[in-house]
Amino acid sequence: MELLLQTLLNGMLSAGVYALVASGLALAVGVVGIVNFAHGEFLMIGAFISYLLFASRGIDPLVSLGVAAVAVFLIGAITYYGLIRPVLSAPELNQMLLTFGLSVLLQNLALLLFGADTRVVSPPYQGSTLSLGGLSFGGVPLAAFVLSVLILLGLYWFLGRTRLGLAVRAVAQNRLAPGLLGIETQRVYLLAFGLSAALAGVAGVMLSVMLYASPTVGFAFTLKAFAIVVMAGLGNLRGVLWAALILALAEALVSTYVPGGGGWVEAVFFLVIFGTLTWRSWRRA
Amino acid sequence: MRLVLVILGLVLIFPALPLGRWQAFTLDTAQFAFIATALALSWDLLARTGQLSLAQGAFFGLGAYAAGLSAGVLGTIPALLVGAGVAAASSLLLGAATLRLQGIYFAIATLAFSEVVRTLVLKAGFTGGATGLPVAPAFGGGWALGGYYLAAAVLILSVLTSLWVGHSRLSYAQAATRQGEATARVLGVPVVRVKLVSFLLSSALAGLAGGVYAMKALFLSPYDAFGLGRAVEALVIPIFGGLYTTLGPLLGGLLLVALETWLRLEIQDGYLVIYGLILILAILFMPRGLVGLFRPRAKPAQEEPRA
Repeated sequence: MELLLQTLLNGMLSAGVYALVASGLALAVGVVGIVNFAHGEFLMIGAFISYLLFASRGIDPLVSLGVAAVAVFLIGAITYYGLIRPVLSAPELNQMLLTFGLSVLLQNLALLLFGADTRVVSPPYQGSTLSLGGLSFGGVPLAAFVLSVLILLGLYWFLGRTRLGLAVRAVAQNRLAPGLLGIETQRVYLLAFGLSAALAGVAGVMLSVMLYASPTVGFAFTLKAFAIVVMAGLGNLRGVLWAALILALAEALVSTYVPGGGGWVEAVFFLVIFGTLTWRSWRRA
Repeated sequence: MRLVLVILGLVLIFPALPLGRWQAFTLDTAQFAFIATALALSWDLLARTGQLSLAQGAFFGLGAYAAGLSAGVLGTIPALLVGAGVAAASSLLLGAATLRLQGIYFAIATLAFSEVVRTLVLKAGFTGGATGLPVAPAFGGGWALGGYYLAAAVLILSVLTSLWVGHSRLSYAQAATRQGEATARVLGVPVVRVKLVSFLLSSALAGLAGGVYAMKALFLSPYDAFGLGRAVEALVIPIFGGLYTTLGPLLGGLLLVALETWLRLEIQDGYLVIYGLILILAILFMPRGLVGLFRPRAKPAQEEPRA
């Protein structure tokens, strides 16, 4: 019983970061209409920013969060401007291949610059734990969860309560009408893509402490984010929360209860993607 | 067409060229180039229906493992056929489940499929798991050029299949499916069947290429045989060379693998950078590939509209 509760708790805590990464992807897909295979690479950049700041200046990851958010937002904006905008009206195949190429490029560029080693940011509080009624919380995962929830609340507030946020949602609903109503569609795209990248970058900072920074760390998260977004329905932001929770719990349960579960954890995600997609396609047909 | 024949002719007489001390190395490189090009041609067969598959690496790996496991018992050629058969059979399963999906959904489903297959191979006992699987060389290692001609044969078979499909009625059905599935359906094109046949041909060739690769590499590991690098290679080559053609992937494959080999010698890690860069540049600046550069736009209406 205790083990089950602990497992569920761990699953819930990791759901926060998953939801953060996947919400970013959902923004790119839902608003800009770009399926971004390089989403995880923005996360990887965030993780390396955190690592470099920590290793060279001893800057705390909590501070790096802000730095990474701004830096990765800019990188996202530049990516949009230079690469995404020219292919906005190209066939979907070209868009996918372009972001796929970007992913391969960034991953291998990081490999050239930093090598394949995994690097961990270890601030003094890294190993701290809290215990409550026989359950133990890792300090860092708990903090990451709380931060993710706060950031997501901020995102929902932005999309639901501000004029700019409403503009973003309007563009997501219809490509043409908002332009006629005087909304600068291109700027909204730029903002949404930058935000999408920034969300991944922030998650990357958290993962540099919880997991590690490495050139390939992002790719797994691209796939996980896809799983979540696909399960939620492409572009559905609220569904992302539920899907992230379900997948994170499933992952935690598998790693605790299936013998030799470590390797199977990854497969859980893919089976879920696969199952959801085929189920949808057959129901529709 | 003439250029395709010239290249194939060169492939056949290549071992007889006087290359001196470079011979062993160039023959080795050429074999890997032929295998990669065959894989790229096989990917293009499915791409002609507008489906972007990221599972080409999985079929390659399945073919490699099936051939590697059965080579000891059956001998070289039957083992290769087993590899192609296993890949084709699994594509039938995958295709029946997923070919109703379009665009991004299909791409993600195939990506998920290849990751699941890799996990299975990693976890299963009889495949050697993470430690890998040693494979006997082709024809028991008795014929020095056996591996070379095997790779050349796979390349030629892929080229012929690609040409044959390009000149058959199937090519019209494929183009119609790609350019507008609903319209194609209305016109009486059996869309799902067209995709399934293309998928079957494509995966069988990929499995065959995988088998030849296994006998050349002599050692298989899930990371190598099923790596995403394979899928990337398989799609970058046709895009660089020219989609939906035979000459494009053929030229693109030979050029890119030569470039890759050179880069691998110069910089060890991260040589895939070049693939990422080429993919981006090709999409932005030459959407019709190398072939498109040298060929004036024949019929403007023929090129794709938005799928």
